[in-house]
Amino acid sequence: MSDETRETRIEAQNPLSASQKNPEKTSHIKSLIWGGVVTLIILAFLPVPLFTTNLSFMFYMMLWLTMATSFNFVAGMAGYMPFGYVAFYGIGAYATGVLYKTFGLPIPIALAGAAAAGVAIGLLLAPTLRLKGVYFGIVSLALAMAMKLIISLMPAKITGGSLGLILSGANDPTMAYYAMFIVLLGALAAGTWLSMSRLGIALRAIRDDREAAEVVGVNVVRTRLKAWVMATMFPSLVGGVEAWYTNAIDLESSFNLLVTAKSIVYAMAGGLGFLVGPIVGASALYGIDQLIWRHFPTLNLLILGVVIIALMLLLPRGIVGAFAQRFSRFRRFIP
Amino acid sequence: MLKVDQLVKTFGGMTALAGISLTVPDRSILGVLGMNGSGKTTMLNCINGIYEATAGEISLDGVSLIGKAPHAVFSEGVGRTFQVPRIFPQMSLLENLAVALLNKGLSNAQVAEISAHWLNKVELYRLRHNYAEELSGGQQKLLELARIMVANPKLVLLDEPFAGVNPSLALLLIGIIREMPQEVGCSVMLVSHDLTSVYELSDNILVMHEGHVLAEGNAEAIQKNPDVIEAYLGA
Repeated sequence: MSDETRETRIEAQNPLSASQKNPEKTSHIKSLIWGGVVTLIILAFLPVPLFTTNLSFMFYMMLWLTMATSFNFVAGMAGYMPFGYVAFYGIGAYATGVLYKTFGLPIPIALAGAAAAGVAIGLLLAPTLRLKGVYFGIVSLALAMAMKLIISLMPAKITGGSLGLILSGANDPTMAYYAMFIVLLGALAAGTWLSMSRLGIALRAIRDDREAAEVVGVNVVRTRLKAWVMATMFPSLVGGVEAWYTNAIDLESSFNLLVTAKSIVYAMAGGLGFLVGPIVGASALYGIDQLIWRHFPTLNLLILGVVIIALMLLLPRGIVGAFAQRFSRFRRFIP
Repeated sequence: MLKVDQLVKTFGGMTALAGISLTVPDRSILGVLGMNGSGKTTMLNCINGIYEATAGEISLDGVSLIGKAPHAVFSEGVGRTFQVPRIFPQMSLLENLAVALLNKGLSNAQVAEISAHWLNKVELYRLRHNYAEELSGGQQKLLELARIMVANPKLVLLDEPFAGVNPSLALLLIGIIREMPQEVGCSVMLVSHDLTSVYELSDNILVMHEGHVLAEGNAEAIQKNPDVIEAYLGA
């Protein structure tokens, strides 16, 4: 298509719609939609312990919403895939367990320690933020495997060895539920801030074209590092809170690559780069996952895999991404 | 003033730049001509820090650019466009321009004002809230130019700005480039295969051939230079 034809088409498609004439209105509508989504989340999760003692479904729903949201910070906003994301989840779980069980610290302090441990390990990985594309993903995957190995080699009196750690004294599912609720709200707040801040603009520029971003003054490594710190803190907290909720920590479940896989799939299924993407993806797929598990427990992963393949084939940009593509005039309203 | 002295760039055993020297005085336009593979884009990549020079010196107003990363070179006042425009496709036009102003310490209102000025200049203001991927190739070139101009650069490196641009947009581009040295106060290095535009716009022209400077002079001298005629312009 020639330039002139395209320009004519663009002008025809964009006869200065109401939103373009009034960008403040666009921003206001977008904020309202996002505010509505967050309010719904609060209303859906906050009162649950008042009505039931069976908190598992909603607890794990919050867990996956948080994992997918924080995964979106790096994959959706900065454009790189940490395949070893589970490393931080596992570090968080073990840091919480060791600080509580071995060092006798109260759970809130143990959780703060888990976040600090995740960020510290993330900072150790900082030099690899220079790597491009899949290479960074592979390094992070190696980190997950290395962390699992390192913990397995540590003295059993600290990490519990092959039996893991049991946090029996910390049993308080309701408090753990609310801790996960706070972590989820923290992740949503961080995502909101990122999407509105100058850091968010720099990250999206890197995602779109790393070299072009650098050529117009974006310090790619430093910018990525800031997003990386945020993205490592939340899975560490999630791992710690989940350990508190279940009172059990072991190497296989703490460093299970399915944690990374599900974070990726949930975020992508909703639509990377949109704040609501991971929310939609995690809500839809976790619900489907649980339905399949209840009705076909032996075929759970197989059927879920088929659902995911179908989703990726039919909606490669995710549910929200597909909506934005199909109804492009509404794209600027989608948070 | 940009000063390049004995710039060498090698890739393994291949020499892309074999000791290039040039100067671009303040508020002037240097046109750069040369066949494909003569080293024009490699030279731009060395100046703006995408490539690390193998040897030689590059300085802008006396400040060495050697060893600086592209973002640091940009901070020194060097803006650059690409042969194939490299905009941020999933960001609005306003956001594209805002990226170049992130580290300038400006308020949001100042960013909006400067961006509006340059989007008006390149006649894209009406599309300011559109996603950049919705623009035509020619419009993307204009957006890329506006994106570096908002930062008020001292030196602008333009890599084939007229390639794939329709005649009306090319005229707009030519007008903007012509005004840049006096209105904005920057110098321009214009790499292009469009001989007419280079002759028309440039104060001085450099012809490159296989990593060397083949000739340098004004448009008239270049058109009469027998080496240039033989190697580049043809009979």
